[in-house]
Amino acid sequence: MGTQDLNQLGRQKLVAVTGSIKTHPRNMNTSVVKDESSTWTECLLRIANHSDQAAFQQLFKKFSPLIKAFAIRQSAVGEQASLSEELVQETMVKIWQKAGSFNPKKASASTWIFTIARNTRIDLLRKTARHHQNRISNDHSEDGFDVEDIWIENEDEDAFNQLVKQRNNEMLHKSIKELPDEQEFILKKVYLEDKSHTEIAEELNLPLGTVKSRVRLALTKLRVSVER
Amino acid sequence: MANKQLVKYHPDTRFLTDYAAGSLPESQALCVAAHLHHCADCRAHIRELTQVGTELFMEQPAAEVSSGCLDQVMARVAGAINEPAKTPATAANDSSSSDAVKKTETVSLPRAISKMTSGNLENLKWRTLGKSFRYSTINTGDEFRESSLLEIKAGGEIPRHHHGGDEITVILKGSFSDQEDKYNVGDFIVRSQGETHTPVASQDEDCLCITTLDAPIKMNNVFYRMLMPFLNRPTSA
Repeated sequence: MGTQDLNQLGRQKLVAVTGSIKTHPRNMNTSVVKDESSTWTECLLRIANHSDQAAFQQLFKKFSPLIKAFAIRQSAVGEQASLSEELVQETMVKIWQKAGSFNPKKASASTWIFTIARNTRIDLLRKTARHHQNRISNDHSEDGFDVEDIWIENEDEDAFNQLVKQRNNEMLHKSIKELPDEQEFILKKVYLEDKSHTEIAEELNLPLGTVKSRVRLALTKLRVSVER
Repeated sequence: MANKQLVKYHPDTRFLTDYAAGSLPESQALCVAAHLHHCADCRAHIRELTQVGTELFMEQPAAEVSSGCLDQVMARVAGAINEPAKTPATAANDSSSSDAVKKTETVSLPRAISKMTSGNLENLKWRTLGKSFRYSTINTGDEFRESSLLEIKAGGEIPRHHHGGDEITVILKGSFSDQEDKYNVGDFIVRSQGETHTPVASQDEDCLCITTLDAPIKMNNVFYRMLMPFLNRPTSA
């Protein structure tokens, strides 16, 4: 994709964002996404500030079936029913423990929870791998990184204001539903099945370059910049 | 987060997407994290890419969770109530410990590396090769790749070498040049199998890098073996 196309894309995005703000000034109440999202934010804040168990149970009801689905799609975890429930438990316990570090200005509740589920899955896979293989012996017996030392929570203050961010998320929400099947399929492999580009290429018997370009195409449709 | 120096070489969309999705092997993710430490642009990309993952996650059809699961979680949570949820989050702990680190280190190192060095590079076990080069292996548990910290003394050179597999290098301190360009702190440099290069550190400063090298066959000290044939040869340098 040429620079010109990208510029074009950037402009469309800008027009779409500013356009929608103009037509619906401060009118945010039409969106189900927004309402749900603020519910989860409130729940997390109540857990953080009041150790509120009812709020926690509300989150559990919504998110544990999603975490379980997420666990099942990862083949090494999904094969064992006990492991997928373990992912649910570990993730939910971490949500409780870490609620104090949730900052709604930096991430939405669902992104924050997705990130914890993702990191917990990495951690769980590390632990199960450790049972199966001897760790490579070398200079350090154990360098002991936590997953969070490598998959670091984004600590940047958000440059966008909340309104624009909300609009962007709504656009993403809509455009994901409009993706062609092939692109939706490959993005789900990337994000839900925990498969790297290389693994997807092997599984689908495609050249790595083809997988890369399908992912890029999908991201471009979602207006996520892929200039690199 | 880090210095404002211009970062020129970035991980491509494939690396960033796999990192955001959590499927990138840990040894390579360590390199991406080192780059992100210095690159606000790529951190913003990661934010967007994580948002895509969140949408897909939220749209999944729900899977049934066993009836005992909530009870078990509540039992663990209730057990933790005495240590309230407000216990300082890891982030707060980390920032205080990395402040301590900064006092002894003049450069800002990525979190995982800071943790490994505990504030002093000499805490690591180094192997020296030749006059101007040493390395320390990092254990990431990845059996297909080997990660190391490399240090090239100011003006020093890594002997010309081939790559048996793909190699990612991220500069943590100083700079180096090869036939193609000069690379600075934060640059994410990928060299593919079969490419040859001779990195030379800049004259004024030692250069510290993290590198992850594909090792198609598991063996110890891939880096050492890769360089040995060259080091044993008399060189004109």
